[in-house]
Amino acid sequence: MKNRLKVLRAERDWSQQDLATRLEVSRQSVNAIETGRYDPSLPLAFRIADVFGLTIEEIFLRTE
Amino acid sequence: MSGTARPWLLTSPGRWVALYFLSVVIIAALKLTGAIESPVGFILLAAATCLLLPLARRRPDGCTSRAMADYNRRIVFSNLGYVLGLGIAVTLWNRYELSDALVFAIALLPTLPTFGVIWAMGRYLAEEQDEYLRHRTIMAALVALGLVLALGIFWGFLEMFELVPHVWAWWVLPVWAIGLGLAQLWQKVRGA
Repeated sequence: MKNRLKVLRAERDWSQQDLATRLEVSRQSVNAIETGRYDPSLPLAFRIADVFGLTIEEIFLRTE
Repeated sequence: MSGTARPWLLTSPGRWVALYFLSVVIIAALKLTGAIESPVGFILLAAATCLLLPLARRRPDGCTSRAMADYNRRIVFSNLGYVLGLGIAVTLWNRYELSDALVFAIALLPTLPTFGVIWAMGRYLAEEQDEYLRHRTIMAALVALGLVLALGIFWGFLEMFELVPHVWAWWVLPVWAIGLGLAQLWQKVRGA
């Protein structure tokens, strides 16, 4: 599943660690999600959406 | 982006774990070559296990989560118990004629701490709040389990056909631990 985490982080000038701290997860988790190696659970996807003030669909994109 | 993570070996836990395994290899080599006898080997092994004590701190440098720090602490104490239990059990077995009941009891000395290792893994999976770290550990544990099953089945048939010597069943835990370590190393190499 593709996502816009890297772009959204860059817009806010956040490092992976900054985002990880806001999400209360490890930096490795943010890196794995951002690079598409790990798809987050629904609760974590909602937390990510809340941190950016967006909906899940605006961050995570369907890959057909 | 913060991509400045130091290599695992240079982080504090990695350094102590690497030193510990190096010590174990040296002690094993000394024992296998007959340079040292059993009691000295166990004493050296117990001393080497103390190299893992820095991992038992509440939140060592380089630990990815609180649950991992707790897991490390439980593993270190289980390991210490195992070395002490094994040393005492082997010494008693070698020096005294023991009844079956006492043999059963001394067999529990190294066994119970290894149950501690299994319990520590269970607690880690229950306590880890970071779902990705938990997922990574579960995948590594499954790889380790696959290694134990594959080696165990293959060795069992080789043994049945009298090609290889008998191996004690307690080897499943060291083989599982080696598989876990290799799988986690592979995950780090892949950047997973």
